[in-house]
Amino acid sequence: MSQSPSSSQSTATVSIPVKRAPVPVRLLESYAMPLLTVLVFVFFAVFPASSTAFPTLNNLYVIFGSQAVVALVAVAALFPLVCGYFDFSIGATAVMAQVMCAGFMANLGLPLWLAIILPILMGALVGVVNGFFVTRLGMSPFVTTLGMSMLIAGLMIWYTGGQTIVSGIDRAIFSFGSARWLGLPAVFFVTLAVAAIAWYFFTHTPFGRSLYAIGSSATAAKLVGVPVTKNVWWSFIIAGTIAGSAGILQLARQGSATASDGGILLFQALAAVFLGATAIRPGFFNVVGTIIGAIFVSISVSGLTLSGASGWASNVFNGIALLAAVGLSTYLGKRKRQGAST
Amino acid sequence: MTSGQQHAEAAGRVPAASDASSLALRVDRLNKDFAGTRALNNASLHVRRGTVHALLGGNGSGKSTTIKILAGVYPADSGELEIFGAGYDLGSYTPATAQQAGLRFVHQDLGLFNELSIEENFALDAGYPLRGPGIDWRSLRRHVSDLLAEYDLPLDPGQPVNSLRPSDQTMVAIVRALQDQTSAGDRILVLDEPTARLAAHESELLLEQVRRRSELGQTVVIVSHRLREVLSVAHDFTVYRDGRVAGALVAAKPTEDQLVELMAGGSAGALRPTGQASHAGTDVVFSVRGLESGPVRGIDFDVHRGEILGLTGLVGSGRSSVLKAIFGQYRPSAGQMTLNGAPYAPHDVGDAVDAGVAMVPEDRAREAAFPDQSVSENFAVATLGENFTRGWMPRGRERDTARSLIRRFGVKVAGPDALFSSMSGGNQQKTIIARWLNRSPQLLLLDEPTQGVDVMSRADIYAVIRQAAADGCAVVVASSDPSEINALADRTLVLSRGRISAEVRAGELDVEGLNRLVLRERPADPDPDPEPNA
Repeated sequence: MSQSPSSSQSTATVSIPVKRAPVPVRLLESYAMPLLTVLVFVFFAVFPASSTAFPTLNNLYVIFGSQAVVALVAVAALFPLVCGYFDFSIGATAVMAQVMCAGFMANLGLPLWLAIILPILMGALVGVVNGFFVTRLGMSPFVTTLGMSMLIAGLMIWYTGGQTIVSGIDRAIFSFGSARWLGLPAVFFVTLAVAAIAWYFFTHTPFGRSLYAIGSSATAAKLVGVPVTKNVWWSFIIAGTIAGSAGILQLARQGSATASDGGILLFQALAAVFLGATAIRPGFFNVVGTIIGAIFVSISVSGLTLSGASGWASNVFNGIALLAAVGLSTYLGKRKRQGAST
Repeated sequence: MTSGQQHAEAAGRVPAASDASSLALRVDRLNKDFAGTRALNNASLHVRRGTVHALLGGNGSGKSTTIKILAGVYPADSGELEIFGAGYDLGSYTPATAQQAGLRFVHQDLGLFNELSIEENFALDAGYPLRGPGIDWRSLRRHVSDLLAEYDLPLDPGQPVNSLRPSDQTMVAIVRALQDQTSAGDRILVLDEPTARLAAHESELLLEQVRRRSELGQTVVIVSHRLREVLSVAHDFTVYRDGRVAGALVAAKPTEDQLVELMAGGSAGALRPTGQASHAGTDVVFSVRGLESGPVRGIDFDVHRGEILGLTGLVGSGRSSVLKAIFGQYRPSAGQMTLNGAPYAPHDVGDAVDAGVAMVPEDRAREAAFPDQSVSENFAVATLGENFTRGWMPRGRERDTARSLIRRFGVKVAGPDALFSSMSGGNQQKTIIARWLNRSPQLLLLDEPTQGVDVMSRADIYAVIRQAAADGCAVVVASSDPSEINALADRTLVLSRGRISAEVRAGELDVEGLNRLVLRERPADPDPDPEPNA
């Protein structure tokens, strides 16, 4: 039973099987989300209860308009998430920018451009502080940003006295908020532009690529010369800045500002990000997937509402979407780490 | 004497030895397929009662698969199994059957709860003894201290496991696995790579314990790739290659070379020293004077162009600390370094990389791998800045680079898009070395470059390191394996308690001599905090 050892050529290292899913399966996996989005759209377009109001240009305008802000917050959330950190303060940061932009014009009479730039800088400052706590002091990002979120929300309620700011805001910002380009809301194009820049950062700059490396293994990233601390810190600053811009867009769309913790904005955004991690590059957070995820959530909620579902239905849907998305992306990520297939 | 004859002869002896009563474990005609790949092909394993049996083979040879089948983790496709004379049907064999039959496994990852005490580790395995509704701590302690005494382990059952020395941790795992045995003869202890995580002297302590147990009649199966250790303790050897038995040696005293020959099947030439094949030049690429960092004191050395410098020593001797200081991971507290004649003081790893220094760290999985990313991305991560041209990072170019690196370094992988984690350990290590050599570094640092790598890949990795030196790179290899140092280094520095205790040129000492030099530890410094300029 034993062979002569010296003659036979060893193939020991060749015999490790590299399993690879067939091409159609991989394509389906990457494009299941976009496909599902189209299917949901078609369904509500022909479903009798919603078929009259759903597939109209006006409804599309509502869908894309309402989702522009959520999608922008989702893009903000992407930066820390790609390197493996949660930022729960971006919802509150967006609301802060919305309130402060309105407040600077209504209470201090600042010109529009300054009232836009200052809140965005404040958002960046929140990111600087978050980044300091998380990278320099090594505090848990989860609890740190949750605490930051409550702190900001509290300060904003103190600033507004619980009142909604309606008067004294420059009309120009509203007209931008309700403007249509090519039949779609102008704010949606702002989101698309920011998303395009974010896509460029993540896929075509050393900085963005290093964030994925940090997310994969921070220790290994450090040992190939990636400035891990600096880049993670920057990811929080970028998140704060984009969240601040999202707040300005929200003011443009709503025309008024009310202090809140921004929880709904945050969780809808997280649902979009995690849904996005199941598409395009399955198992990885990515910009294109995130935008599709945001549109998917928006179309589904709009369809449900127009079919006569009550107000709670959208929360239930968001909750289910978030759970399903986290479950799926965890599963895909785990499978990747175990090296099962691509 | 030709080793081939010896093996054929040794293999021929197996049937004679397999008389049923003397065998504790008999496996025959074992077959196992994984997705069309034959992992085991008519493999066999005959373990005599009361002996230490070494199961050897490279990665992918089928030795781990056999162990997993014996543990009931994998089902076998076909085969015969007898444990202590009782036949078992492999079709319905489960981990519980293995346990009942008397097989006890201690894996490389010991499965101990590090923060908990020894006695709690025992209780979590076998259950807490109860008195009324509560835990009977006193009887637990008595049970555990009796067991520890039986094994001559002078340990306190209340001690947390992470306060024990590494060899004692392994012993605790062994005693825990055997805690229900009544006499040494009724269990088979299977040790899967028991010394992989241990330094040389820790391994010796552990193997001494194993030897003592076997004298008391304990049957032991050791799976290991540290041949020298296995040789010192095993009575019988079974060597697997490509899922077949390449040789079965009963009551034999083979040499290390013979075993390597059996495992590698004739391609083990690269494991021997290079001798005069050194590429060392005379110009100094890197030099360090008076380096102090962590446990390391007063380190002076030069590395020349094309030279492979070995750094060896026991665990805690400061091997890794020297490399980490050079690579900018730690800031040295004193000392000067120069690279190509210019002062070199890296602020962080990025500085070191920019200056042309590269390091392959010891813990591949944690410190070098991006497991969920593709092979191509794992290469590209070290050249992100270089890949960014005219505002873009073209993936096509990265893949082309990856393809040529895969070819150049003989990495066995499906392609540049395959996941890093889909490769075997040896190919992962080649990928990481290739990642750095792609940058054509001035100075290449390698920390335990072949840890957890099979014999076949080890030869490939040695060839790669030699080629890097031949191309003019200065190489520093830190390793705890004397045979690795002996095979690779043109010159070796032996570190002992943070200082250089000896310098050896290639050919001056053999593995044995080198090992003796390493083990002869320098006495500790009298002053725990010596003057900085000592």
